[in-house]
Amino acid sequence: MLPLSLLKTAQNHPMLVELKNGETYNGHLVCCDSWMNINLREVICTSRDGDKFWRMSECYIRGITIKYIRIPDEVIDMMKDDLVMKTKARGDVRPGRNAPGQRGRNTPRGSLGTRGKSGVGNLRQAPYSKNKNN
Amino acid sequence: MKFRYFINMAALESYVNHTVGIITADGRHFVGTLKGFDQSLNLILDDSHERVYSTTQGVEQVVLGLHIIRGDNVVIVGEVDEAIDSRIDFSKIRAEPLPSIVH
Amino acid sequence: MCGTLSSVDQYLNLKLKEVTVNDGEKHPHMLSVSNCFIRGSVVRYVQLPADEVDTQLLQDATRNEAEKNVSR
Repeated sequence: MLPLSLLKTAQNHPMLVELKNGETYNGHLVCCDSWMNINLREVICTSRDGDKFWRMSECYIRGITIKYIRIPDEVIDMMKDDLVMKTKARGDVRPGRNAPGQRGRNTPRGSLGTRGKSGVGNLRQAPYSKNKNN
Repeated sequence: MKFRYFINMAALESYVNHTVGIITADGRHFVGTLKGFDQSLNLILDDSHERVYSTTQGVEQVVLGLHIIRGDNVVIVGEVDEAIDSRIDFSKIRAEPLPSIVH
Repeated sequence: MCGTLSSVDQYLNLKLKEVTVNDGEKHPHMLSVSNCFIRGSVVRYVQLPADEVDTQLLQDATRNEAEKNVSR
């Protein structure tokens, strides 16, 4: 299980991000990338000593400044479900191996359709897989 | 490039789903189940708690839950022997909090 | 901290087995840890037992390396 995939799974969930300088940011994850740069919305920023607070509607945090991220426990369960689904999907698709690889991965996930808030990656892939299916 | 990837990946693979103790660059000590990691040593720690050390009272354990710890903040990943760990009486342990890493 | 070195990579990340802590009183954090992974960038120094370093082998290896570089 990769930390960045877990972060992607945590999209739309509340989380706490502590920066190396000790500031913490509480907010909902909008999106993230492979450098761990993240976009939060409805953020409350707390100063290092916890005595000052700032509210902002949106913020962008550079990945390299992050110390750690705390996310809700249920996200890891979602991740597990996702993994099971993916393995299953891979098993189902195996017979039709001559089909392009991309398709095999997208079709079952789309049809199961439980993961509306998956990643940016999914959103980006959606139109692509639709074209393939039609 | 590929070589590095495998070395690092193999290095922590044996700790996955085990209880690990993490010491971070700011001198904090986290304990939890290692659920995953990547080549830059970012870690997923499940059911984690922080052990706060002090010289005047026993170790305080703060329950935190699910964490992603960024690799550049990680100092030591130690596999915890749960048998030994459960025998430690943390209320009796006194220690200076660790200083943070100076580069 | 002391232990048997099991592997090193090119970042000098270390993996130790059968770890013992030199001053358990002062640093009780790792008392229950037997195997560990240390990020290379935080290591100040590694103390090696002098008699276990095969200097002859090391010298030969260095010479070989040097020769290779000259011939190139």
